[in-house]
Amino acid sequence: MSRKIERLINLTIALLATKRYLTKTEIFNSVEGYDGTAETKERMFERDKDDLRSLGIEIEVGTFDPLFNDEAGYKIKQEKYQFELGDISPTEVSLLSLAAQAWQEASFGDVAQRALLKLRSIGIPSDELSIPATVHKLNDGGQDLSLMTKAIAQKQCLSFAYLDPGLKINSRSIVPIALSTRDGYWYLSGVDQEIQEIRTFRVDRISGAITVSKGPKDFETPTGFDSNRTLLESPTHEFALIDVRMGKAASLRALAVSSQSLGEWDQIKVPILNLESLCSIVLWHGPDAFVQEPPELRNLIIEHLEALVDNHG
Amino acid sequence: MAKKFSAPLERTARLLDLVPYISSHQGISLKELAAVFKVDQAQMTSDLTTLWMCGLPGYTPLELMDLEFESGFVTIHNAQTLSRPRAISFDEGVALVLGLDLLRSSISPDRTDLLERIDLLLVRLAELINLPTALSATPLVNQEVSEAISDALKSRMGLEITYQSLYRDEISTRTILPIAISERDGHVYLSSYCFKASDFRQFRLERIQNAVLKTVPQEIPQSSIEQSSYICTIKVLTPTRAIAERFKRDDLSINTEFDFQTYSLQWIERSIMASGRALCLKSPPDVRKSIATMAQTMLERYKAG
Repeated sequence: MSRKIERLINLTIALLATKRYLTKTEIFNSVEGYDGTAETKERMFERDKDDLRSLGIEIEVGTFDPLFNDEAGYKIKQEKYQFELGDISPTEVSLLSLAAQAWQEASFGDVAQRALLKLRSIGIPSDELSIPATVHKLNDGGQDLSLMTKAIAQKQCLSFAYLDPGLKINSRSIVPIALSTRDGYWYLSGVDQEIQEIRTFRVDRISGAITVSKGPKDFETPTGFDSNRTLLESPTHEFALIDVRMGKAASLRALAVSSQSLGEWDQIKVPILNLESLCSIVLWHGPDAFVQEPPELRNLIIEHLEALVDNHG
Repeated sequence: MAKKFSAPLERTARLLDLVPYISSHQGISLKELAAVFKVDQAQMTSDLTTLWMCGLPGYTPLELMDLEFESGFVTIHNAQTLSRPRAISFDEGVALVLGLDLLRSSISPDRTDLLERIDLLLVRLAELINLPTALSATPLVNQEVSEAISDALKSRMGLEITYQSLYRDEISTRTILPIAISERDGHVYLSSYCFKASDFRQFRLERIQNAVLKTVPQEIPQSSIEQSSYICTIKVLTPTRAIAERFKRDDLSINTEFDFQTYSLQWIERSIMASGRALCLKSPPDVRKSIATMAQTMLERYKAG
């Protein structure tokens, strides 16, 4: 096993050190570890190339002379092999180290640790204490962030079963465009392939595994999308007018875009993102909240109140 | 999750990363090196021995890497080819981008120098891993609150907090002695002794609106009041996602009946109200009655206007 590892390292060094492309014959003659028949060597080399690629090391294939269809040659470009952040200052290394530390207790923490190790290997001293910031913790909650972000980068299509508000399982297919975390939840936004509109999904409501497939060929990422503002499954532009008692209904007030004092009560204007969930928040506040508009919301509330009276009377 | 490599590949990656690390930490102890790479010292010795055999074609002493690890300290020479850290992987880039975005919100807005650097780093990293700037992370609490909490925990000080209680629907001011930050069901809590309740309480981090350091008695009363709890029986009339998440149950269907333990009757009352026609509270009877009365009063108001 250790011979294979030596060979992989020696191959990496040889391909990194060379200025021109090395042919297979040159590699077999000079790099330690390629023994056996021509066929064995060939097989070994093919496997080694795949192994290095899977470690993220890009091997370039080229020819010596563009005029002749020569034997192919191989090399690794230094600038692709190395961590290239350009000129980097101690402050920047410190910022990046703090960023990696945010993952400390998450399962993505191993990945962040490897990044931290590479940062420390740049050889620029960092002084994280000089940065006046508290390290908040990030938690991936066991979600496959890697799969989702890769799909964003490669414009792949993700299909999954999603629990709708009625607890029914819905099959959704999206081309994801953004991933964000807020209030401890992860949100994945993407273009829903059935309706061709942007929808945002709470990742923990995805039931079972996510299937990855090739995205549509002509997919273009919509511009002007702000994941910080659009954490909704179905955006609308309607508003409700709700009277709330002074000093009460804090969670409704938090949703309001404007507020007007009416003495004992305030009238607030709340965007309707989802009629059912707004209705539920209003009911949570009992007699401290009273809906003036729109009629659909009032009627929904009346229906629920009637059921509550019937069921508990 | 993050990709796992086969053992030989895992080891190859480690050896490649060892060279730049030793190059930038010449004379590091074997013990420390093993700890940094999370392997035992025997494994690290074996890794270093393998590296010793590697180098440029020719493999004479001139081309081989020159490693010394005598008396437990490691130095490396003649390793220029591998001496720079390897490019970050896609996943590593994602971890850094999200971490930086989170870090940004904990830096005071007047440190524009740091904020600008974070933005530049984000752009550079996004280019490196070829990912559009599509990731964002927001912390649970603002910078002042998180600073006060970590200061209090570090120096064992008390805090005066403004806390939004959802089920009481009130914002209260309390003096607390924070003990630890804990996590349960995907929510982050500040476990504390609360001088207002004279008992231990868990505060949801994102509902702490304000926090300032305050001197408090370090002695916590030994016997705290036993908190009473109530058992409710709830019948499901329409299974909904909101109910499944609120009561943390994944086995809901029509007519499911379940018992739920709560420390607050107010919470259960509000939860039943918020669920509307989807739930029916079977017991306790006095809460049932209070729900019926409240719903009736509200209904009359709607019918009147």
